[in-house]
Amino acid sequence: MVSRLRDEGLSSERLLWPTKGPSRFEEELGADEIERALGLTTLEKAVRWAQTKSMWPDTFGLACCAIEMMAIVSSRYDIARFGMEAFRSSPRQADLLIVSGRVAHKMAAPIRQIYDQMLEPKWVIAMGVCASSGGMFNNYTILQGVDRILPVDIYVPFCPPRPEALMEGILRLHEAHLAGVPPAYERRQIATS
Amino acid sequence: MPAPPAPGAGMSYTDVPGFVEESVAHGETTVTIERERLREACEYARDELGFQMLSDLVATDYLNWGARGVSGYIGTATGRDINFPMTQGLQTQPRVKPKRFSISYHLLAMRQPPERVRFKVWADDGEPVPSVVSVWPTADWHEREQFDLMGIRFAGHPYLRRIIMDGDWEGHPLRKDYPIGGEPVRFSEAE
Amino acid sequence: MTIAPARTRTAWPVVDDSQYEGSRIPSPIPTVKRVPADYAEREDIMQINFGPNHPSTHGVLRLIVDLDGELVEGIEAVIGYLHTGFEKSMEQKTWWKCVTYSPRIDYVGYQANELTFVLAVEKLLELEVPEKATWMRTLLSELNRIHSHLIYLGTSALELGAISMFWYCFRERELILDLFEMVTGQRMHTRYFQIGGLAEDIPDGFFPECRKFVDWFPHALADYRTLLDRNAIWLERTRGVGVLSASDAIALGQTGPNLRASGVDWDLRREQPYLAYANVDFQVPVYTAGDVYDRYRVRMDEMRESNRIVDQCLRRLERMQGRPWIVDDRKVVLPPREELHTSMESLIHHFKIVTEGFRVPEGEVYVTTESPRGEQGCYLVSEGGPKPWRVHFRAPSFVALEATATCMHETLVADLIAIVGSLDAVMGDADR
Repeated sequence: MVSRLRDEGLSSERLLWPTKGPSRFEEELGADEIERALGLTTLEKAVRWAQTKSMWPDTFGLACCAIEMMAIVSSRYDIARFGMEAFRSSPRQADLLIVSGRVAHKMAAPIRQIYDQMLEPKWVIAMGVCASSGGMFNNYTILQGVDRILPVDIYVPFCPPRPEALMEGILRLHEAHLAGVPPAYERRQIATS
Repeated sequence: MPAPPAPGAGMSYTDVPGFVEESVAHGETTVTIERERLREACEYARDELGFQMLSDLVATDYLNWGARGVSGYIGTATGRDINFPMTQGLQTQPRVKPKRFSISYHLLAMRQPPERVRFKVWADDGEPVPSVVSVWPTADWHEREQFDLMGIRFAGHPYLRRIIMDGDWEGHPLRKDYPIGGEPVRFSEAE
Repeated sequence: MTIAPARTRTAWPVVDDSQYEGSRIPSPIPTVKRVPADYAEREDIMQINFGPNHPSTHGVLRLIVDLDGELVEGIEAVIGYLHTGFEKSMEQKTWWKCVTYSPRIDYVGYQANELTFVLAVEKLLELEVPEKATWMRTLLSELNRIHSHLIYLGTSALELGAISMFWYCFRERELILDLFEMVTGQRMHTRYFQIGGLAEDIPDGFFPECRKFVDWFPHALADYRTLLDRNAIWLERTRGVGVLSASDAIALGQTGPNLRASGVDWDLRREQPYLAYANVDFQVPVYTAGDVYDRYRVRMDEMRESNRIVDQCLRRLERMQGRPWIVDDRKVVLPPREELHTSMESLIHHFKIVTEGFRVPEGEVYVTTESPRGEQGCYLVSEGGPKPWRVHFRAPSFVALEATATCMHETLVADLIAIVGSLDAVMGDADR
């Protein structure tokens, strides 16, 4: 059901100028048509919608999950439907960091550097159990979850997640962002650089 | 390339410099070499016996080998042998090892049939082992890895520094007295 | 171009060692190429870091490169960013659970690692694996080889700019993963090879699907050849780049396609046949130029040969339906579930295997197989208990990366990408 302006008690210019009659534009389109032809939204929502539809990931493949991450770019699972096939190599140009694979302590510092280089707004998906919680490797060398060093928005379990599972995670991130959930660094009040 | 021995003749390793003993198990020959004469032995193997390739270099830590005599069931094809008393469930007692570390060099002779042999050297903690980088350049990274993870010093290695762990890591993770690390998991028996 | 016919050879194993005179292995450190001291003072050498995260798709390899303009004068490879402690983790787990760890080492050719480990344990246990399991293992290993080479081709071409190859190769890869999922339930890290045979029987419906793939795949390969084999840009970027001579390759311990592209006719499937390779007819491609182009050609030909092997395995397996797929030794293998209701011994066996794990007799063994990357070896030391004492994997990628410095001879930065891609190193395998 399309909600019409007058249902909300609004009418376009009359908001500011109650005594003004319909404009030429309104006359041409017709008073009903105008509400079907235009959408009313807030600037924030519009910006969120745009961010969601072109959230570019960073080429950050670490281990086995990277192969499944490459699979979502492939033609069967086609992440290009969601505008995300442009994997940016430079973190400065990337919005989304998909930590795909096990994080060794030696790699933790470079990961943090890369995350810091990304510009706000930015999101992190911990893909796979190794990135979420250390996975099957509970030992001296594997960081037990990348959320020790990064604020994570979405955790995608399985070892490795099917491409559909990763896409489910990405889509939930999109939904969360559209609904107004702030990125994880804001929620956790973490300084990001 | 030297003339390879006739097929079926069997390789004789007694002429290898530093030869101590030879044993055969599961179709594999293990030749124990004196630690000080290792480089000579490897040069002999490469030049005289035709082992052109070093396939692998492994160090094993035998600390507390055979110390735990756990009784129980034997999962072997031949089953439990009640004629071996006092073995507490193990088919045989694990043989005592001469020193703490063994470094095994797996060599490959590329001929028909291919010949593989394991040269084994024993060392204690702190004893340096001669490096074989001059014999097989591939040993470079293998020796660095075993130095990093097991703490065995290879004397004569041109660039012996950590390769797998962080440059400033303390300790040698694969040793038996180095803990597995990680963190306790709730509701597991470790807690 | 020479494709050595199976089991007949002339000058063997080195078919051609004339790629260059002498040895290009740097001295004193074989794996580090340093700028000569006087050269560094005269010219403007810039040292840059191809950090662990970089646009090419090799995982976390770090290269410290000394550049004189675009020319690579010095290179050092730094690894260890994906060290997972497999070897130590496996010492804490029973033999059965270690099989789950093994595919994650070389995560592109995952069944090769499983196979090496399982073969090593079976050698220590002296188990006789049933024929059906052997043939199925061969079939899956060859499918995995095709899978690994497809990923190599897709990512390698992507880095050199032939971006479409990525999508074509991954389309074929999806077909193979569908087959794996049908048989094992998982796309990657299948954990289908069990100590003693296979984890489960081969499901119905697999053979027609596999047959469809086998019939389709040569057409896909023909597509790839059309795109790349005589493509002027591809030839220009890969011919004469990253040349490695046969003697240098042997000295550096190279195996697998890297070795065969350098003119050495050596394939473990033919020289020390394991599984069912002695009963299968296949050729081993050998090329002599030792450059990136020849490594590409070796892998393309290997894909074709693997397809033929899969075909032959399929024909044998189709006649073996209903045969056992795992050894019948209850000390090592779980009894069938139906027996647990009626047999006390089965219940005890099941209990012991699941809780404590079976025991492997004391000994040490080193088993090698031909993984898609080269010679993969598993060195196993058992104390006689339910857990391994020492597990070590001889990683072909680790050794392949040792050759980076030697391959860099008058290379430009763009060639560097081509060379590192052609060595086909998977960092999980290199760092373990």
